[in-house]
Amino acid sequence: MSLNRPLVILLLFGVLALFALQQCRDKPQSLSRSRLLMGTVVEITVLGDAPEGLEGAVTEAFAALERVEQLMSAHFSNSDVARLNASGEAVEVSPETAAVLALGQRIAEASGGTFDMTLGRLIQLWGMETAEPHVPDPAEIAPTLMDIGPRALRIEGTRISKRAPDLQVDLGGIAKGYAVDQAIEALRRAGVTHASVNAGGDIRLLGDRQGRPWRIGIQHPRHAQTILVTLELEQVAVVTSGDYERFFERDGIRYHHLFDPRSGFPARLCQSVTVLAPSAAEADALATAAFVLGPEAGLSFIASWPHAEALLVAADGRRLLSDGLKDRVKWP
Amino acid sequence: MALAALLRRMTPLDRLIVLVLLLASAAAFALIGHGPRGTRVVVERQGQVIFSAPLGVDRTVTLNGPLGETQLRIRDGHAGIISSPCAHKVCIGMGQIAQQGELLACVPNDLLVRIEGQEAEEPSHDLISR
Repeated sequence: MSLNRPLVILLLFGVLALFALQQCRDKPQSLSRSRLLMGTVVEITVLGDAPEGLEGAVTEAFAALERVEQLMSAHFSNSDVARLNASGEAVEVSPETAAVLALGQRIAEASGGTFDMTLGRLIQLWGMETAEPHVPDPAEIAPTLMDIGPRALRIEGTRISKRAPDLQVDLGGIAKGYAVDQAIEALRRAGVTHASVNAGGDIRLLGDRQGRPWRIGIQHPRHAQTILVTLELEQVAVVTSGDYERFFERDGIRYHHLFDPRSGFPARLCQSVTVLAPSAAEADALATAAFVLGPEAGLSFIASWPHAEALLVAADGRRLLSDGLKDRVKWP
Repeated sequence: MALAALLRRMTPLDRLIVLVLLLASAAAFALIGHGPRGTRVVVERQGQVIFSAPLGVDRTVTLNGPLGETQLRIRDGHAGIISSPCAHKVCIGMGQIAQQGELLACVPNDLLVRIEGQEAEEPSHDLISR
């Protein structure tokens, strides 16, 4: 067999070109965009072999998030929630808001009222969303807890009425998760099959990360720069509720935003609760409920909810895992 | 053997060409497989880029938001917010960022700061639930 010079050079060029082509082909296209929405940073990442259309899909997803914010934030005067809060009569709301209220009511009932969408007066009293939060007097707290609870709202299709006219609805424990779900649906409608939507830690994953699971780090509740545990996940929502997200301190005591509706004070039994569920709206509300219930009761509650798993960090630092998570966590 | 016969027939110029091609292959692998480290700071408001600068050039920039002026400092390859008109100063407390994909945000003053570029190595996680 004889080899001549031009053939060798051509062969070498061919190998080089094939190698370069393979490297380019194996690299999936990805696009990440961030916006400030719902009082937090929302980051959407989409993966796909064809870059065309990814930008449009992300734009649609942000539009879906904005729509939910405009429907369910009490800060928008024309939102469903603002109209419901201002009215003493029954109010007609959008199908989306009605769906969120119905899901929230189911979780409120199942959790014995530890998840509550009618704590608006209590949250305003504490001033948690203002520049100067304060610890109210117990005598001030009692009136804000009257008439609250799973049966405080009557939901008839899209017609919502309140048990007491001055009751204030706050969907802070569920609407952000629902907005994440709507963004995922918008991506799916646009043909995206691999994506993540992360709204300040409320995460939902669409598919896997093209050939491998998404690696989700769960923040350590007492060391902000440390990852407590890493979970390898796909096609699921992950939401963490912690006492470190929004808080202030008075006389050495930390007062955070996750209130126990039974006392009107911040719940004290957990540092953080991470919930995995099929939808981010469920995971959002379940995490709040489990946080208020405390480690043992919270774990039992999550076990009773279909397809939900949880990691709870108790106030004393103990870590509790639901059965379905025990073999799936990676400790650092 | 064919290879030994080939090597005997190769002139110095042939060997030079083969060497250049091999080096080009190695360089292509290095560039395509890993890529240069990211080096830009990008500031966005409502989805629009309002400022962008290299991470490698020290500077302090004043950014205007609905509450007033936020100062962003780039120094020694890191970016951080050093003053802000917001109430809780959470954005200042977020510290310094330097890695691709890291974010700083001042929600009240409607500013989002990100580092862009390619990662030097694969991170231990894709997202953080906090």
